[in-house]
Amino acid sequence: MDKAPVSRGFRSRQAEQPTKDRLPPGQYVTMGFPVLSAGPTPQIKVESWNFALQFGGSLLGKWDWAEFEALPQTTITTDIHCVTKWSKLDTTWQGVTFDDLLKAVGLAKPRARYIIAHCDGGYTTNVPVADLVDGQGMVATRFEGLPILPAHGGPARLLVPHLYFWKSAKWVRRLRFMEMDEPGFWESLGYHIYGDPWKEQRYDGD
Amino acid sequence: MTENGSDVVLDGNAAAGLLQEIFVLEVTTAQVQCAACGSTAAVGSLRLYAAPMGAVLRCTHCDGIVMTAVHTPHARWLEMRGARCLRF
Amino acid sequence: MTVIETAAMPGRRLEWQLAEVRDIGVETPRVKSLLLHVATWQGHLPGQHVDIRLTAEDGYQAQRSYSIASPPEDELVTLTVERVDNGEVSPYLVGDLRAGDRFELRGPIGGYFVWTVATRGPLCLVAGGSGIVPLMAMLRHRARRNVRAPAMLLYSSRSLEDVIYREELDAMARRDADLRVVNTLTRKWPTRWKRYRGRIHKSLLAEACFPPEQNPKIFVCGPTRFVEDVSGLLVELGHDPLTIKTERFGP
Repeated sequence: MDKAPVSRGFRSRQAEQPTKDRLPPGQYVTMGFPVLSAGPTPQIKVESWNFALQFGGSLLGKWDWAEFEALPQTTITTDIHCVTKWSKLDTTWQGVTFDDLLKAVGLAKPRARYIIAHCDGGYTTNVPVADLVDGQGMVATRFEGLPILPAHGGPARLLVPHLYFWKSAKWVRRLRFMEMDEPGFWESLGYHIYGDPWKEQRYDGD
Repeated sequence: MTENGSDVVLDGNAAAGLLQEIFVLEVTTAQVQCAACGSTAAVGSLRLYAAPMGAVLRCTHCDGIVMTAVHTPHARWLEMRGARCLRF
Repeated sequence: MTVIETAAMPGRRLEWQLAEVRDIGVETPRVKSLLLHVATWQGHLPGQHVDIRLTAEDGYQAQRSYSIASPPEDELVTLTVERVDNGEVSPYLVGDLRAGDRFELRGPIGGYFVWTVATRGPLCLVAGGSGIVPLMAMLRHRARRNVRAPAMLLYSSRSLEDVIYREELDAMARRDADLRVVNTLTRKWPTRWKRYRGRIHKSLLAEACFPPEQNPKIFVCGPTRFVEDVSGLLVELGHDPLTIKTERFGP
């Protein structure tokens, strides 16, 4: 394949170069926080917000905002990687880990191997449960100490930072256990079903 | 004419480059009927979201997704459940 | 181009072509026009745009769309670019680019937001900020073709110094009795500014635009909110939505 002609002097916006280990292949560091949404930003009032954990048709647990805030809170600092090639380092999030959600509904073990996240606005994404447990996933309500802005997925978004950021579904409302892995919104349109940035699994076929 | 990287809503005109990789006929002038609410509009006038990942084109009346197009290194994808029909 | 089509020709594959910067002109403190030589250019229609692609030394690529500012009668393809604060591409195009530089471009794209002199009826153009660019291609085309059909431009800008193509538009309006240009300034205006101030509202549109009975072809271009507000007002004024074509440029 022919190499594209180089435009003299053009470079991407970048912070000072971090160590190579921190950036997955093909990624560039951004100081901003780009917003990408498949639809208009839902304006959600926390007074009417609720969050549910489901297995098949049955409800394992449901929380309103006050109840959700009363669950054990965890704060993490992590790097996030968007499939559109920007990465943001050392971002701080606070929320309820998937482990603590399981504990709250009295599950010692997850009910199935996969979950699908359902969100306000209709967005969905699928994640293996193995990638949510042991502190790897949470439902986040705060970014850098402040409530997550609606454009960035507030009041609550899924956070699975070790996978490409489209898996960290904005405006999450339900996590439903699935026996089989079913592709969500982007996974049904050519994006990778799993999405490991370190293996550069951006697209179906990678 | 815009900088991607912020929450911008564009329209089907901005998706034309991507869509024109798939359609033989000029696509922004094609009339599309929304399957959800039945309203008809030119593809160029639909609201466009998610531009760097793909083109999600939504009905200006009901906000339902009319069509979605994605260009990956392996394939071009086009999903049109939200369109009852297209007229070129 | 000797034949005018009213819609872009179907069936043309979009290939990446090489554009070479021949000249750069300053339009306003934030806006420049890039005059490009594209050896493989096939021509275009007023209102169409191009995608451009920049590649850095390390292989990083960025892609953006820009409306074509030049009429099809020009040999060089002109893009008019506004520098977006914290943008990735526009600061390069407006700040670093020099004559002789090259980048990739594909187009022309888009047959929806297009007007040529072959279209009958009065022409009504409403622009917000950099939304003037594709409409300028239409006006330049109309001027080059010496067409007498009535046309008007309602152009909203933040301040006088932000009015892109100001002198050219004034000159066009002076030379052409059938063209009316109405400016409104929204944030800052000279103390002796006698023209319109503030955002476009219903009565300004009613006064400036051709009435619905004259069945004008209407093109609205600018930030998304601007385009949606103006289109809504035009429909309220009685214009058939099918006669209103829109192009949204983002916030």
